Amino acid sequence: MAQPNMAQPNIAEDDAEATVMHADLDAFYASVEQRDDLSLRGKPVIVGMGVVLAASYEARSHGVRTAMNAREASRLCPSAIVVEPRMSAYSQASKDVFTIFGDTTPSVEGLSIDEAFLEVGGLRRSVGSPREIAATLRARVRAEVGLTLSIGIATTKFLAKVASAVGKPDGLLEVPAGTEMDFLHPLPVRRLWGVGKVTEERLHARGVRTIGELAAVDVPTLKSWLGTASGHHMHALAHNLDPRPVVTGERRSSVGAQRALGNRGRSQAEAEVILLELVDRVTRRLRRGNRLCRTVMIRWRGHNMSTHTMSSSLENPTDSTAHLLAEAKLLLERSWPEIHRLGLGLLGFTAANLSEAAAVQMALDFTGRNINEVDTTIDAVRDRFGNSALKRGSLLKHNPTEMPVLPDPGE
Amino acid sequence: MKFRCEKDVLVEALANSGRAATGRASNAMMSGLRLELSGNSLQVTGRDEHLTISSDIQVAGESDGVVILPAKLALDIVRKLPSGAVEVDASDGDPKISGGRSEFSMRSMPSHEYAVPSTAEGESVVVSTQQLSDALKQVVRAASTDDARGALTGVLMSAEETGLRLVSTDSYRLAVRDLPGTTVLDEGQKVLVPSRALNELGRMLDSDEETTLILGASDVTFHTGVVSLTTGLMVEAYPPYQSVIPKDTPNRLTTGRETLSRAVDRVKLMAGENSPVRLSMDADGLKIHTINRDVGEAAEVVDAKFEGEADEITLAFNGNFLLDGLDATTGDEITLDVVNEKTAAVLRSTSSSEFLYVLMPVQVS
Repeated sequence: MAQPNMAQPNIAEDDAEATVMHADLDAFYASVEQRDDLSLRGKPVIVGMGVVLAASYEARSHGVRTAMNAREASRLCPSAIVVEPRMSAYSQASKDVFTIFGDTTPSVEGLSIDEAFLEVGGLRRSVGSPREIAATLRARVRAEVGLTLSIGIATTKFLAKVASAVGKPDGLLEVPAGTEMDFLHPLPVRRLWGVGKVTEERLHARGVRTIGELAAVDVPTLKSWLGTASGHHMHALAHNLDPRPVVTGERRSSVGAQRALGNRGRSQAEAEVILLELVDRVTRRLRRGNRLCRTVMIRWRGHNMSTHTMSSSLENPTDSTAHLLAEAKLLLERSWPEIHRLGLGLLGFTAANLSEAAAVQMALDFTGRNINEVDTTIDAVRDRFGNSALKRGSLLKHNPTEMPVLPDPGE
Repeated sequence: MKFRCEKDVLVEALANSGRAATGRASNAMMSGLRLELSGNSLQVTGRDEHLTISSDIQVAGESDGVVILPAKLALDIVRKLPSGAVEVDASDGDPKISGGRSEFSMRSMPSHEYAVPSTAEGESVVVSTQQLSDALKQVVRAASTDDARGALTGVLMSAEETGLRLVSTDSYRLAVRDLPGTTVLDEGQKVLVPSRALNELGRMLDSDEETTLILGASDVTFHTGVVSLTTGLMVEAYPPYQSVIPKDTPNRLTTGRETLSRAVDRVKLMAGENSPVRLSMDADGLKIHTINRDVGEAAEVVDAKFEGEADEITLAFNGNFLLDGLDATTGDEITLDVVNEKTAAVLRSTSSSEFLYVLMPVQVS
């Protein structure tokens, strides 16, 4: 990589510096609960009544995992204290942390409400080394928000994410430039982005257990094991090839919401009510961010943990709850035989193929009734009086919660 | 059944009738073409649930009969045969198509399962093919192609005092064409015809021929040259279209049709799929411009006359919808009557009052 260049001797060095940071809040929801309730500190805490949304490290040590059924979780950890989620508290905590990220560097790429990539190259002279910056950041989040943050520092996004995961909880791990392979190769393949249970088993079956062993497999062989796309991807990651820069303020290309539903059987009517809640949530965010969507996708998980998606495209981009709900219901209807067979453990709705709502094709008004006005009126009431001020009729028996979301730069 | 005929004649008949036998229908039989020979007359019919197209051609018949051939395969075979005579022989066993030194034999489809095609029954009226063809080109494209839109996928034919009127809308634009002097329906009568059928009809109309229209109780047949097309009438109620044509339009832009059309077409290059094309009009004339965050910007000034209450007014339109309207309007000069940036504009030709195009703007925030 370091090409000797007499005229510009610094370039090679600059290039090779580890300046990408992956910052990740530890057991986010559970940590917020422990922060706000002294009696929960040091105890196993589970957030979520039906399904585990988050578990504190004390609960995790008993084997409790996110998305687990609550009954199974309390069997594994009978002493766990189960609390109801307080989404608005998590939203606020996330905003507070992201404000500190923004103070640290202008280059912040949010991944979700509790993790982000930060580019800290170029701050050495004015602020300090990446390691110093990370230490300050962790101290500030602890002091100002009361939460613990784990940080990985490396030359690529991928490696920074691996490093923060290895360093957890409450850790700071730097992989200095030039030592990437020494760090990466002894790790189990499961640490690679995109390696789940299935891929891990496939690799184990071929005697590949560590990333180093994976890196030694040539691309054609890897492709024959994992498929073309996955083969290339794994090969690149095992060699720490990840040229993606930290991207700031890029508007998201999709907006989604999902709900875990546990193991109970659900009727189609129930599923439609849940879908309405999800569509309602997503379209409200679309309108707030001035976005229109052209592709509708539903995602669901069977009780056997298999994940399925189905999508369709609209003739014209829209942010109308009624239009998108109608489309989503059609998808649900078409998927229903399969859902009925496999059960419904999770239902998600995503609005993709987004465009700026700067331009909306208006329709000729044959009826004298304007459907768009209904949506904007509902949004206005909720913005003023809160989410529960107005509910759609079929959601009345329902308990919708305001899910914390990563703020879109345009919102 | 057995006959011989010129390749080109048979290709045209199979292609025309094949437009109705797309195989998209739920009934597998509808991917077949029905050939019926009687003396020297061959009728080739294709159909789906909504549309029947028959072609009647003259051939050298040898023995009468009926056969159902797979539509796409039969057309592909005949099309690829060398020029000259083609023979179709279904007198015993699998039907055979031969021409030159080639011979194809294929599995036939059972003919008794294929409903004998029928045409509409009623009074027949002769209409000018040229007029009908022009009118369809102007109107059909404004109809919706989305099956979920019900009545909006149809073209309304209504009897007005002065003659026949064709109307279509996809709820973003509305096209209205009058055919003065053409009386097809009884006064006050209205029928809704699927736009897909009229689209197919438009492709087959040949101005050298007359077109005969037969209106039945639940279907309509158009007869032109050797082809006849029958489609069911739609029963959905058509929205009250007159109410969306703005009555009081205090501002009028007058400009050259071709000039405007070319300018919009150029500026639209930068508009991409989602950005509108903006028309800014004032006493100095017309400026067409577009801004696309991802691609760039474009602007063009066009000579135009603007009269009205407003000093300056800007409307944003879907570029394709605007071009469709300009293309459908006739004559050298057009007027665009506008109220404000949130109200539909009306496009007309200054030389003819037979066509108008109402276009809803794009709201720009």
